[in-house]
Amino acid sequence: MSFELNKKLAAKREPLPSSAKVDPVTAAIIRGAFETVCFEAATRLGRAASSPIINQSNERNGSVLDAHGRLAAVSIGTPHLVFISQLAARWGLLNFADYDWGPGDVFLGNDPDYGGGHLPDYNVYAPVFDDKGELILIQALQAHQGDTGGKDPGGFTLEATDIFTEGLAIPCLKLVHRGEKRRDVIKLVERNNRFATFAGDLAAMIGAVQHCVKLLEAVIRKWGPEVVKAAVNYNIEHTEKRFREEIAKWPDGRYEASVFIDHDTLGIKDVKVHVACIVEGDQLKVDLTGTDDRAELVGVWNTFANSRGYVMTQIASAIDPSIIKNEGLFNAVEIIIPENTIAHPPVNKPAALGSFHPACEITEAVCVALSQVAPERSAPQVYKIGMPNAVIGFKNGQMWMDQGVDTRTMDVSAVRDIDGWGSCPVALGNLLLSEAEDAESRFPIVNISREMTIDSEGAGRWRGQPGSLNVKRILEPTTAMAWMVSAAHPLRGLCGGDDASPYSSHFEVGTPNEYEVSLTAHAQLPAGAVIAYQHGGGAGFESPLLRDPEAVKEDVLDEIVSITRAREKYGVVLTGLRENYDLEVDLAVTQELRNKMMGAKRSR
Amino acid sequence: MSYRIGIDIGGTFTDFAVLKGSELILHKNLSTSADRSIGVMTGLKHIADRENLQLSDFLRRCAAIVHATTIADNTLIEMNGALTGLITTEGFRDEMEYRRGFKESIWDVRLAPPKQITPRRRRLTVPERIVFDGSVHKKLDENAVRECCRRLKQQHVKSVAISFLFSFVNPAHEKRTAEIVAEEMPGVHISVSHQVLPRAPEYDRTSTTVVNAYIAPRVTSYLETLVACLKEAGYRNQLMVMQASGGVMTKEYIEGSPIRVLSSGPAGGVVGSAYVGAAKGCPNLLCVDMGGTSYDVSVVLNGAAPAEAGWNMHHRYLIGVPMVKVETLGAGGGSICRVNGGTLEVGPASAGAEPGPICYGRGGRQPTVTDAMLVLGILSADSEFAGGSFSLSKAGVEEAFSKIGARMGYGAEEAAFDCWRVVNANMTQAVRRSTAEKGIDPTDMVMLAYGGNGPVFAAVQAQDLGIERVLVPKASPTFSALGTLVANPSIDEERSYIASAQSLDVGKLRSLWKDLDQRAEKYFKDANFSRDQVFAKYQMKMRYPGQNWSLTFDIKTNQGAEDLSFVDDSIGARAIDAFNKRHMAEYGHVREGETPEVVGVRLSTYVQTPVLAVGRGFTAPKVAAKVAKTRRANLGRGYQQTNVFRGVDLKAGHQIVGPAIIEEDFTTIVVYPEWSAQVDDAGDYELTRIKSRP
Repeated sequence: MSFELNKKLAAKREPLPSSAKVDPVTAAIIRGAFETVCFEAATRLGRAASSPIINQSNERNGSVLDAHGRLAAVSIGTPHLVFISQLAARWGLLNFADYDWGPGDVFLGNDPDYGGGHLPDYNVYAPVFDDKGELILIQALQAHQGDTGGKDPGGFTLEATDIFTEGLAIPCLKLVHRGEKRRDVIKLVERNNRFATFAGDLAAMIGAVQHCVKLLEAVIRKWGPEVVKAAVNYNIEHTEKRFREEIAKWPDGRYEASVFIDHDTLGIKDVKVHVACIVEGDQLKVDLTGTDDRAELVGVWNTFANSRGYVMTQIASAIDPSIIKNEGLFNAVEIIIPENTIAHPPVNKPAALGSFHPACEITEAVCVALSQVAPERSAPQVYKIGMPNAVIGFKNGQMWMDQGVDTRTMDVSAVRDIDGWGSCPVALGNLLLSEAEDAESRFPIVNISREMTIDSEGAGRWRGQPGSLNVKRILEPTTAMAWMVSAAHPLRGLCGGDDASPYSSHFEVGTPNEYEVSLTAHAQLPAGAVIAYQHGGGAGFESPLLRDPEAVKEDVLDEIVSITRAREKYGVVLTGLRENYDLEVDLAVTQELRNKMMGAKRSR
Repeated sequence: MSYRIGIDIGGTFTDFAVLKGSELILHKNLSTSADRSIGVMTGLKHIADRENLQLSDFLRRCAAIVHATTIADNTLIEMNGALTGLITTEGFRDEMEYRRGFKESIWDVRLAPPKQITPRRRRLTVPERIVFDGSVHKKLDENAVRECCRRLKQQHVKSVAISFLFSFVNPAHEKRTAEIVAEEMPGVHISVSHQVLPRAPEYDRTSTTVVNAYIAPRVTSYLETLVACLKEAGYRNQLMVMQASGGVMTKEYIEGSPIRVLSSGPAGGVVGSAYVGAAKGCPNLLCVDMGGTSYDVSVVLNGAAPAEAGWNMHHRYLIGVPMVKVETLGAGGGSICRVNGGTLEVGPASAGAEPGPICYGRGGRQPTVTDAMLVLGILSADSEFAGGSFSLSKAGVEEAFSKIGARMGYGAEEAAFDCWRVVNANMTQAVRRSTAEKGIDPTDMVMLAYGGNGPVFAAVQAQDLGIERVLVPKASPTFSALGTLVANPSIDEERSYIASAQSLDVGKLRSLWKDLDQRAEKYFKDANFSRDQVFAKYQMKMRYPGQNWSLTFDIKTNQGAEDLSFVDDSIGARAIDAFNKRHMAEYGHVREGETPEVVGVRLSTYVQTPVLAVGRGFTAPKVAAKVAKTRRANLGRGYQQTNVFRGVDLKAGHQIVGPAIIEEDFTTIVVYPEWSAQVDDAGDYELTRIKSRP
């Protein structure tokens, strides 16, 4: 429970001792089997869980770790969860004897100061032994639970100054001993949670992990423990080798970027994240020195495990996607996160909101820095939304929550040659976002709109996907929470592209009480109240004046860009009427206007 | 004597499997891409001639014609379906573009978007709103619907998808909108979401409906042309059509939602594989199908090829109807060989049937896999090809490979051999991906090879994958067609009904099942099946409140006349009990203190199809087969004089040791060095590896 512990948890682990040699094809088959098991773990949980965060937003991840706590395989989830799955289990491993690990055991951890992300991310994991009793693997399953038993329902407290405000912190707790559920322990955990279906959701996590342990035991029996260990070693080494080959292609140098959060939850402005990516041969160093360390900041403290994972999330997107994601990635990068900064807080700091910000700004800063060496693979893998408009109510004394992670666009930036498309950055492509028909069948809300908004694309030679306006009506009196950021500092454009459009949020829309949330909100809303959240769009890539005029025309026909913006932002002049579908580019006038705009830009 | 005919139209060949009593007759001829019904009629005429019957007489004797088609898949691959528009609920214009946030890779920032069937300008909205209990929250604005029609007409839209929120609970607004569209846009095809996929959530239903709208005009027009041709030629019964789920149904039923025929050809092959594999005692199969344009891989486990509904991303669009899982690679006999940046590549571009490979002599100029096989001596210009439909020609083939060889620094024969190696490696990797994804070790499987080109490559791939046994059914060249013959006519539908299991409306349940029953009865009757023949599974979909996924289980099974007496006051308690048992089996726990809810009722009906006898065993005395001829061929170990056998000469008990080539009417089976082939009692081939792995 210290900076020293974090160093110990993150330290490089040795390969597993194995007497076997493995060929690449067998190693790939075993990895495929692990990935299938991870998929099973995550899918079974998604199907059995009742929490919309798990079964709609898919905020869950299955990982297979080896006996040293190294990431051996991942399958479903988001990179943001994938790369923090190891450290909580490593703390458990450090206490192997004290906690009396054995076959049939299942553990739970969520403590940010013991390798966890933030409190809502429950990490349920279980050891997998061979027939002789040697620990070979660990099956881990993480999921974001709807409550943590702290001051505020949902686990997010805007003014929290310590972790205890946020709820029950669990370094490592044995839920199942030798196959028998510890009912007293499970009851204690259940009791410290407001969420109506939490008991079932925890049971679903345990059930999924137990099922996958059996599958992994079968893999070990089929191939033998020595071959399985050799395969894990081979796959990790192969990934490190391929990753280093990629780094070696990047020009040596120091590439820096600073990114800002609008404010902390109390209104202290311009919270800074600074990153330097240093390339030397096949070695990459990522250094967060220069990142904000003001002790008075509130709500913007990101745990060490999260910061480390969010650095890797962006790096993993900047390399050949066919490189297998496992511990080999961490072996090839040195990550320096200075102590007492918002990216590596002292113990007992609140951690819930830090998983939004500065976590995403860390990812964004790595992206901006790497865009100088790998522009063709640079697109920020973030969610710049401050905190979704969570709507929370109670029925029969138990809590329900429509967490506001609805289907919509946000933060989908362009990458060279490709406009931003779809709903989210690719890293979030495994989320199947909440649909109106599912949400309305269970919560007292009506979704009014969630369409893309015209002229909200980050302009560029390749443009970002527009933002979207999410409007819903609340049918019963409820609490709504929000933390607004990314208005003053929206997502950064790359290589000369425009920044993304900003976020904004309005409560009680259409009434005399309507107001814009400029900092935070924790409001009691009456039945019938309407809330409207404008999500920021994606940022652009390279100058909008270089965009193909025909592509601008197509955007106008699709009501993504207005005729006025086509002219003023892209320098494209169109004839005809959109309503008649007969638009044409006036090439001569367009060229003349663009020359003029470029000249003006140069003179600035 | 009556006949049953299975027909599968592929990109290159149209395949026929005809069941005459217990005798199986196979035929294949070239597909006719401009009007595929021509290829079908040509083949039927050929079979009629073979039976010494007039076509009309032959067709009158046909008890059933069952048909699988790739027309829907080709439309999505080539993205040349009807110009489609979408009318949806105000505020929900962009669901098709959002895809619920889904992207095919979470690691590849360079992933390109799918081509949009309905770009934003053709996604229009109208004020209207129905909420979760079916009540109207906002009335349908009919003028807005008419304005949408005006805008879609202006854009020359030919097919309109209509998808409103909660239409599966209350379809009134969709129905009225469909009426208005029919008035305002006469002649356009209309797809309404509550008919295509009557379930939540909105993206799944809308996407399925939009794809349905996109492919419907082509599928419908094709089926209507075919039915008209068959009728004119004398066929008197219903045309049955294969569905992606692995069942078959009438054309009229399919026309209600043509999306059900997506992937129906491959589904037929997998159903046939499962059937033949089970009969031969091989319940776990790796099925590889190589035809003229593609290479399909599927897995049969424990004798079954289950259809999966739900999150089926097919050609990058979500298709919510149940589908048998098949992975496809662009590698077939027609795959084009070329040099790109100093690297030899094969496929995915295909020469198709027209002009086809150079050796077809129909104007093809680019060398293909089939041309390479001719150079290697696996195929011969001296032998008949495709059942004698035509002979291959060497003209231009060697020159084409010489050009490739010149760029690679060797001669034509070496170039052809490298093409063979590359296509082999591509296919082997596809199998590895498909099995590794599932954590399956291919060495535990038996390979079943089919398609015109499957048996050419099967044994060499099996060797690469560590597989020791390969089944090549006699019917392998027309295996998907055979699959349609063993698939059961089936209708599997559901209706949405959301209620706590403790307070079920028995009358409502009864009326929903009655409605499903009546639909099934109607379509089975149209297909000439009596009620007595229909097996019915009455199913419930349930979940705990808050769960997003439901579990489906049988609450009653039945054969014959409708019997809803099981729907009584105790059904809620029985359903809770059955659901909890299913939940425990599936997820290892039951939620104490929580009452599950019903989300829908299903009726799964089928008629047992006449059983096709498939023999097994090797009781016939083993004898060496007679060599028909020899020719110079390269089977992976350089050119040498190689024994060639004629399939018609081979009978049960015959054994052949590789290297050898077996020429069947519609396929060539290559027995590679270190492999042997034997013919089982049913006349099917089993290839086994002589030398085991070290």
